[in-house]
Amino acid sequence: MSTPTRERDAMSRACQTIGAVMMAGYLLVSMQGCSKTVEGTSGSKTTEQGVVKAPVTLPGEERVSDDIVVAKAEPEAARQRTEEMKQEAAATAGTGLQDVFFGYDSWTIIDGGKQALGADAQWLKANGGKALTIEGHCDERGTQAYNLVLGERRAKAVRSYLTDLGVDAKRMAVASYGKDRPFCRDHNEDCYQQNRRGHLVLRVK
Amino acid sequence: MTSRMTRRSKIIAGAVLGLAGAGMLGSILESGAADVYLEAARPDFQKVPIGILGFQDGSLPSRPGKEAAAVLAVDLRRSQVFAVADASKLGIALTGPNAPEKQKLKQAVGLGVKVLVWGTIGTRDPDYLLDRFVYDGGSDEIGASKRYVGSAALLRQITHRLADELVARYTGEPGIARTRIAYVSEQKGARELFIMDYDGHAPRQLTSDGFLNLTPQWSPDRKFLVFTSYQSRTRQNIEIVDLSTGKRSPLVSLSGLNITPAMSPDGAKLAFATSQDGNSEIYTMEMQTKALQRLTVHSAGDLSPSWAPTGKEIVFTSDRGGGPQIYLMSADGSNVRRLTFDGDYNAAPAWSPRGNWVAYVCRSEQRQYKICLISPDGQKRAQLTSGQSIDDSPSWSPDGRHLVFSSTSGGKTQLYMINSDGKEMEPLTSIGSHNSMPAWSSAEIQTVDSQPTEKK
Repeated sequence: MSTPTRERDAMSRACQTIGAVMMAGYLLVSMQGCSKTVEGTSGSKTTEQGVVKAPVTLPGEERVSDDIVVAKAEPEAARQRTEEMKQEAAATAGTGLQDVFFGYDSWTIIDGGKQALGADAQWLKANGGKALTIEGHCDERGTQAYNLVLGERRAKAVRSYLTDLGVDAKRMAVASYGKDRPFCRDHNEDCYQQNRRGHLVLRVK
Repeated sequence: MTSRMTRRSKIIAGAVLGLAGAGMLGSILESGAADVYLEAARPDFQKVPIGILGFQDGSLPSRPGKEAAAVLAVDLRRSQVFAVADASKLGIALTGPNAPEKQKLKQAVGLGVKVLVWGTIGTRDPDYLLDRFVYDGGSDEIGASKRYVGSAALLRQITHRLADELVARYTGEPGIARTRIAYVSEQKGARELFIMDYDGHAPRQLTSDGFLNLTPQWSPDRKFLVFTSYQSRTRQNIEIVDLSTGKRSPLVSLSGLNITPAMSPDGAKLAFATSQDGNSEIYTMEMQTKALQRLTVHSAGDLSPSWAPTGKEIVFTSDRGGGPQIYLMSADGSNVRRLTFDGDYNAAPAWSPRGNWVAYVCRSEQRQYKICLISPDGQKRAQLTSGQSIDDSPSWSPDGRHLVFSSTSGGKTQLYMINSDGKEMEPLTSIGSHNSMPAWSSAEIQTVDSQPTEKK
């Protein structure tokens, strides 16, 4: 179809004409308008006759255009990642591995956590070929950014404790999601407790 | 006498405008419009009283004239530069495309407005054409008209452009009506990047990764965003996306957390926090050479760097004193000193574009997470928000007169705009379960027309 080409030619002529009569300061604005218009041709309205009109910017006019292109999604990469995470969750569910819970603003392993990690260490020793990701999570209080750091400390505290129990640190990767992947979404202490967590996930790759 | 007018505004209005009819003015200007103190800008600045007479749109079915007038009124009110008068009380009815009679314009000035703006909206398929006229009571002249063109879908942007022109004309500084806010929004359980207009309109989804994208910040030329992107359960990069092409590229892929990127005001460096050394430390990276420089050396967590507008200093969060507090350092990492001493939780600092404030999240005596301001010399401090909520991630408008932040005050985490004096908080997002980590873009580079700015 030759119409778009004709339009671009017409646009380009219009821009050149405008450019020629513009003073330098104005030129910048007009040229932005022109180049943007060419890109935006596909978004032009189609009239009832089916003729696509190209926008024109005349001397003395200032074109207001949009300047953001939406980034292309990578659906295949996203789909693969989602699939792998589902597999990991399913594999973890069959192991009996237990999560660890923390106090407010704390990354100290407390008594309940020690028992859970003792059992986890037993399982890991019995299943020497398996590798883990330890995710650190936080409750909704505090800033998102600082909770990323806090979550990492929790994950590392878990790894450190398991290492002390004789599990090879190389089998345990750490991650932090701060408060941005919560297990529970209510605004009360029961929920907060669920989210202050070291979450153990079996790796499938 | 109207009851909406405070005693203070009466005094100010009367003094500034030297008008006998202060009561009359009160009935014209919207409630609170004469509240003139600009905390973060010029304390001596008096709002310019302006009347929007409307935009004739002929027989266009979608009534763009009405929408443009409404958008312009909100833009001008938000600018804090103008006090918008109630146009229906100015006694001027636009009939057709002709300018109102000069006599009527003069009468309106007699009622207390200084500037009158009106125009027409026409079409030239596929565009709208907005012709605007401005009458300035000081010069008693209707200046040259100006025409803005843009696709019909961009009517709000065209109107924002006019608002920015008026702000630039009376302040000499670019307006913010065409700025944007990048943020993080929950979509199907994931955190994705979005960009919206400064007033919350036209939200657009930038990523569809189905996982976590966090801590977006703009490049100073507002052509790029830098952000943290999780590639897998354990791996995350700081990425850059070119907003004109949509192309994404990794910038920082060190082991551990790579978070809270912030580009320097000249765009030459990226400051960020990484835990490749074991705990979170602040680094800079030269954008050209990718050369890294470590700025902080401490066993505690250091994160959330924010540049002074001069580029010479960086403010950041550190918990080297126990809980998180705000610290300052030179851009080479030297001369570290603590800035906040009130309270046991202060984080997420953002240096204002005017340089005179640092906004941050403070934990109040009621254990609520609020937005606070502190001057970089530590001498002045103010708590901007109050109530029971978790407020987070303050980000400044480029004119330094507003902040955007997230708050749970409505139940869900949503974004709000607030004046830098703590007034006029308004919601920007309401859809979805979670909108957070807002980042306000710089202002568009505009050709400021050379009309005289208002004399003081």
